[in-house]
Amino acid sequence: MSDEKMKILQVYRSEPNSDVQTLVEILNRDRDADEFKLYVNNPNYDTLFQKIWAADKTVCWW
Amino acid sequence: MAADPNKLGIFVTSNQNMRHILGLTRAAKRAGKEVMVFFTFKSVHLTKSPEFLELTQMCKVEDVAICADSYICEGFDNVTDIPPGLTDKQMRTQAFHGAILEECAKYIVM
Amino acid sequence: MESLKIYVLIANRVYNDGIRSGLGLAVENHYAYPVIMNGEFPRMSDYMAENIAWIADMEGEVFSCGVDAPTDLPEGTEMTNITLEELGEKMREADVIIPYGLPKQSHEPPAACGE
Repeated sequence: MSDEKMKILQVYRSEPNSDVQTLVEILNRDRDADEFKLYVNNPNYDTLFQKIWAADKTVCWW
Repeated sequence: MAADPNKLGIFVTSNQNMRHILGLTRAAKRAGKEVMVFFTFKSVHLTKSPEFLELTQMCKVEDVAICADSYICEGFDNVTDIPPGLTDKQMRTQAFHGAILEECAKYIVM
Repeated sequence: MESLKIYVLIANRVYNDGIRSGLGLAVENHYAYPVIMNGEFPRMSDYMAENIAWIADMEGEVFSCGVDAPTDLPEGTEMTNITLEELGEKMREADVIIPYGLPKQSHEPPAACGE
């Protein structure tokens, strides 16, 4: 699997601060990036599960 | 041992995400997957919530564990106060986290 | 199993236990890189100093990101200063990234936290 095609999922447990945004921007560069916000009302866990399963790597931020 | 393609690992480091852990575990079970969970440090307080027993009932006995050292550090008794849903064998070390990384095809931190 | 590169990000003073957790993975034959963010340093007990030294012995490294590491660390205890951008670039090579515990607090802790 080439690095460029890595599917990376960014999950946020709270609203990301500027540090997290900077790190995510670097991590997502040249990758197939997706995200999921857990801090919204009633997150859809089936959708989260599907995204995790589709991703090569998941990062779940604070 | 190769990772099990049907297993999700959850590494729990925070003490405030029980609803996410339960919600994701339910979703995984609906999709026919197994879930392996390790609670460490402050997250061992989540064993005191009623939802913890529900979580253990969705997973195989050997697939849920807590860090025994963390449990003791937080003031709980690891002999007389084993959380409902756990056996004494599931009071483990950080090696269980290593096992999650080895055995689970997918992994998330909570 | 192959050895994984694992970054443990510590953004909250209460969650320096992430260093111990990183050591636990180093013992399991992984490369552990705990990162202390923005000066949330642990109290440098003998136990903590030993853990940091042991991570280095196991080919891992403890980083300080955002604030320079203290210069009075116990002998044998090293932290490597790293910028946020450098950390991001390094973590592109990570197998696992663990934002540990809770995010940074908005306010400085009151004196009661010291007891």
